[in-house]
Amino acid sequence: MTIDTEKLIERMAAMVEPVRPLARPWIRTAAWLLVAIPYVALVVFVVSPRADLISKASEWRYVIEQLAALATGITAATAAFATVIPGYDRKFLFFPVLPLAIWLGSLGDGCVEDWIHFGPDGLSLQPDWFCFPAIVLVGAVPAIAMAVMLRRGAPLTPHITSALGGLAAAGLGNFGLRLFHSQDASVMVLVWQVGAVCVLAVMAALAGRYLLNWRSIISTKGRSVLLHRL
Amino acid sequence: MKGQLDDHALATLMRAAQRGNTQAYVLLLKEITPRLRQIVRAQRRFLKIADIEDLVQDVLLSVHAVRATYDPRRPFMPWLMAITRHRLADTARLHTRRAAHEVQVENVPVTFSDERTNIDGDQYRDPEALRQAIMALSPGQRDAIEMLKLREMSLKEAAAARGTSIGALKVSVHRAMAALRKALIKES
Repeated sequence: MTIDTEKLIERMAAMVEPVRPLARPWIRTAAWLLVAIPYVALVVFVVSPRADLISKASEWRYVIEQLAALATGITAATAAFATVIPGYDRKFLFFPVLPLAIWLGSLGDGCVEDWIHFGPDGLSLQPDWFCFPAIVLVGAVPAIAMAVMLRRGAPLTPHITSALGGLAAAGLGNFGLRLFHSQDASVMVLVWQVGAVCVLAVMAALAGRYLLNWRSIISTKGRSVLLHRL
Repeated sequence: MKGQLDDHALATLMRAAQRGNTQAYVLLLKEITPRLRQIVRAQRRFLKIADIEDLVQDVLLSVHAVRATYDPRRPFMPWLMAITRHRLADTARLHTRRAAHEVQVENVPVTFSDERTNIDGDQYRDPEALRQAIMALSPGQRDAIEMLKLREMSLKEAAAARGTSIGALKVSVHRAMAALRKALIKES
């Protein structure tokens, strides 16, 4: 024991400042989207939208996949924000499952259709190294905003929280990518785009403990108390 | 429990603390500290009192650091218990990780690997007694000690020089060391 607990309480109380309670997860998600969506729109505008975007908007498969990618990002963000609130309801963790299932289901269905129509050629896979860096580019600012916002919460489940945050940013990144990248072959989208989203989510999960840990949050927010404690 | 504030009262104190009310914060922290101590003690029975107090302080610091995450519309205790549970698990994980990389030793045998730094510690203090003890050994054992320990010959070299087997030499040197140890302990 480094100092008496009573003294620690007195020091903590002496340094207590008014804090604004964190908003509810869906309100924080809306705030995150206010930063993320304009950035994604800016990137799409700068890179220039795909020439066939208007006609693609009438293709139900493209629309479903885009809406599912966007919904995956939004629900993953809500789940991530819920996980940094102590005592949160665990049902939030399953929020992204449905849109993710729809997204994968639509792509899987597309793969099957391609195989029926074109045979094995319909599932041929060519390298598309553009997807990964493009998703990183489109998802960069949403990811940074997500990290900053998550660090305002409690690091209860760093790996899960970071994975959900990564999925949110990468999902949004993939949504943006398909607005300027003309690659719609289901198998290509599944492997190179959804694959990149999954890889980014796993990378975020691995970085979770470095991004979100009690030691850094206590030393940031309770630095003065800690200094006295040493 | 008797005399303890209920969840509604604690939630009221927490709301006031979020607005920066020092007195409410002190009251809240003093109210939750014995409860935390009790929880930590119940879950970590093997810890010393000082370690339990360290964990309680860790939880208090965590509560302080993330007090903005408390939703004033929700009950207080589930929020506090979630932090406590995660902090205890986190500390246990940290402890396990550290323990996996530690080697427990009673005495560190050397200061540095360099031989010069350890001469004093290893040097025998009574060379005359050692010389006499060696002289008192049987000729075979004395030769084995001289060749292997004093001249630092290899087992192969010493066996060739004495015209004996390595196994016999090992037995000789083992017996010689036991005899020397016995003689020097008796001497001291």
